[in-house]
Amino acid sequence: MFEWSEEQLAIRDAVRRFVDEEIRPKLDDLEHGDLPPYDVLRKLYATFGLDQLARDSFKRQLERKTSGAEPPARAGRGEGSNAAMALIPVIEMCKVTPGMVTALGVSTGLAAGTIMKRGTPAQMERWGLDLLTLDKIGSWAITEPNSGSDALGGMRTTAKRDGDAYILNGNKTYITNGPYADTVVLYAKLDDGSDTDIRHRQVLTFVLDRGLEGFEQSAPFRKMGQHSSPTGELFLTDVVVGRDRLLGETEKESGGGGRASAKDNFVSERAGTAAMALGVIEECLALSIAYAKDRVLWGKPIGEFQLIQLKLANMEVARLNVENLVFRHIEMSAAGRSLSLAEASAMKLYAAQAASAVAMDAVQLFGGNGYMAEYRVEQLARDAKVFQIYAGTDEIQVTHIAKDLLSR
Amino acid sequence: MFPMNVVVCVKQIPDPAAPQSLEPGTHTLARSGKLIMDDSDAYGVEMALQLADAAGGGEVTLVSMAPGGETSGLRTALAMGAAKAILISDDALKGSDALGTAKVLAAAIKRAEPDLIIAATESSDGYTGTTPVQVAELLGLPSVTFAKSVTVDGQTVKVERQTESGFDEVTSPLPALVTVTAGVVEPRYPSFKGIMAAKSKPVDTLTVADLGLDASTVGAAGAGQEITDVAEAESRSSGEIVVDEGDGAARIVAFLETLKVI
Ligand SMILES: Cc1cc2nc3c(=O)[nH]c(=O)nc-3n(C[C@H](O)[C@H](O)[C@H](O)COP(=O)(O)OP(=O)(O)OC[C@H]3O[C@@H](n4cnc5c(N)ncnc54)[C@H](O)[C@@H]3O)c2cc1C
Ligand SMILES: Cc1cc2nc3c(=O)[nH]c(=O)nc-3n(C[C@H](O)[C@H](O)[C@H](O)COP(=O)(O)OP(=O)(O)OC[C@H]3O[C@@H](n4cnc5c(N)ncnc54)[C@H](O)[C@@H]3O)c2cc1C
Repeated sequence: MFEWSEEQLAIRDAVRRFVDEEIRPKLDDLEHGDLPPYDVLRKLYATFGLDQLARDSFKRQLERKTSGAEPPARAGRGEGSNAAMALIPVIEMCKVTPGMVTALGVSTGLAAGTIMKRGTPAQMERWGLDLLTLDKIGSWAITEPNSGSDALGGMRTTAKRDGDAYILNGNKTYITNGPYADTVVLYAKLDDGSDTDIRHRQVLTFVLDRGLEGFEQSAPFRKMGQHSSPTGELFLTDVVVGRDRLLGETEKESGGGGRASAKDNFVSERAGTAAMALGVIEECLALSIAYAKDRVLWGKPIGEFQLIQLKLANMEVARLNVENLVFRHIEMSAAGRSLSLAEASAMKLYAAQAASAVAMDAVQLFGGNGYMAEYRVEQLARDAKVFQIYAGTDEIQVTHIAKDLLSR
Repeated sequence: MFPMNVVVCVKQIPDPAAPQSLEPGTHTLARSGKLIMDDSDAYGVEMALQLADAAGGGEVTLVSMAPGGETSGLRTALAMGAAKAILISDDALKGSDALGTAKVLAAAIKRAEPDLIIAATESSDGYTGTTPVQVAELLGLPSVTFAKSVTVDGQTVKVERQTESGFDEVTSPLPALVTVTAGVVEPRYPSFKGIMAAKSKPVDTLTVADLGLDASTVGAAGAGQEITDVAEAESRSSGEIVVDEGDGAARIVAFLETLKVI
């Protein structure tokens, strides 16, 4: 694919209308007034029938799980258009509020996705459906104060066996939706009383509900950008969880075993981040072109100065490259293939750096206006910076790409 | 419950947000690029969907005349929930005037045998506001214009007809034609499922001959009007700047009084 289809453009236009009518008027409250994004996201879902699509998809996934059928190895065209249908709202919303997309992606992608992939049918019904429809909001918690890039090894949150139950202790930080989440997918190191070094102990995945005894959720952090995405800390003090909260009700990798489950998500969140980057790049480029034509200095529009032209040209190169990566991902989904970890890492590394660079260049092109909130590019620059940090830092993407290359 | 079939006239127009140009020879709006559904017609589509829904059955059929077999605008209305569309597209229709358009629309609408026909009060690009009533006249049907509210009760339609000072309550037997204003209902967003379904909904594309119309009565051949020339509109003169020398307020008041706004 080299361009969007008629239907995809129709979806794009409909989402644009929603963004203009429902999000832009509330942007100040979302970005500067601590208005949580969830009601607007729920309206998005209701407006476009995404809640119903989520229910349909839930039913199919549940049937597949109960019948023990493998997911279709080669999905038809339909699945590919599903990837596009999911990414188009991501791209469009990121033109205005990338934070809102972070909040949405973590809840429906990471939290619900993990439960749907590795939960038992009962767990899927208990937590998965409400998260997929946004009736409930989810968090996905792996990072800790002393382990981010080294999350699996450095993790210190523990799950101590206690009969058939577990007792959880520790804390998590930088958790998207943490302050408001109803449901939290949480990773912890198994403490089985053995003297295995904690770095090498098994990682288990649990599902927690807001209000469990000993489980506290912090207020939102102040941060550089992504203000439409509340981020916070989670504290666990002797939280007792039954086996029903261990994902898959088994410590095996197919269920609660956390290392494989965490890695599953690396690929999807990295591909999603590239689509987010595309939204930021497209918007910064469009705003910059308009400004370059409009702003007159020394008697001519600044677009006539070559140093401004260089910025616009670099932005266009980035836009084309990231768009191609997104199209490639959509085509691969249509063909029933998924990106390898190294491919997804390469895509995310490039797209994140490109979005940051483009947005900062846009600030520069706008001069003093670029530094002012009214012109919007400063928000996009602050929001884009996190693409180089979350879902694996740039440096970590490099290590994943290099590991793959050197193992050939 | 009476299942109700509603026809909505949907004009497909060049995107008003895109730059517009006139055809050099005919001075008519260039319609070569992609056309979109006229926003004015979104209200009619929504009204029709709500009425069919309230009636507990029936279908919404779209009727449009547009060049080049254009269906983009129709797909938008189909995505909102209309069942099918009739498109009349024929080179012979080039240079149509409003009456010629009405003849074509009327012939197509007849085929759908509707209980109710809805159109907008006026289009956003041509805005003569004359097409719908001509359609009604050609079909021998009653027409009610400027509806700000439409309800159907068995075999009659009740309309609140917007006037300068308020509204008239008008009742008409069905079938009838009603033109709706932008205030009548809030058009829905198409759902993603609706958008995907729209591409496989039937669009019946017809020519003038298919409708059994005599080609000499429509298009440029049948047009009673011709655009002979187009001239630049006089640019607005710049306003007057009032410098406040202590009497600013009084001068503004005096100015507003000349406009009779205060
Ligand atoms: C807005 C936001 C939302 C987030 N949401 C979530 C969430 O929902 N759930 C969740 O679990 N986490 C979340 N995170 C955490 C995020 O994934 C981590 O911040 C990220 O993985 C980096 O970890 P760290 O902050 O501990 O940095 P560190 O790991 O301490 O890294 C510090 C620096 O060292 C570099 N570095 C690390 N290892 C190497 C190496 N081997 N070689 C070279 N350089 C290296 C890093 O790239 C970085 O520059 C979020 C973070 C942010 C900012
Ligand atoms: C000189 C001239 C040349 C033209 N050339 C062409 C041509 O080459 N090809 C061509 O297709 N048309 C052509 N037209 C027709 C024109 O585009 C309009 O359809 C027609 O004149 C109606 O005018 P209006 O926009 O003022 O409608 P109005 O009377 O303001 O429209 C009111 C409502 O009637 C309905 N309606 C009007 N027109 C249509 C339509 N076409 N389809 C469905 N519903 C409609 C809509 O609901 C609309 O909101 C031409 C018109 C003129 C005057």
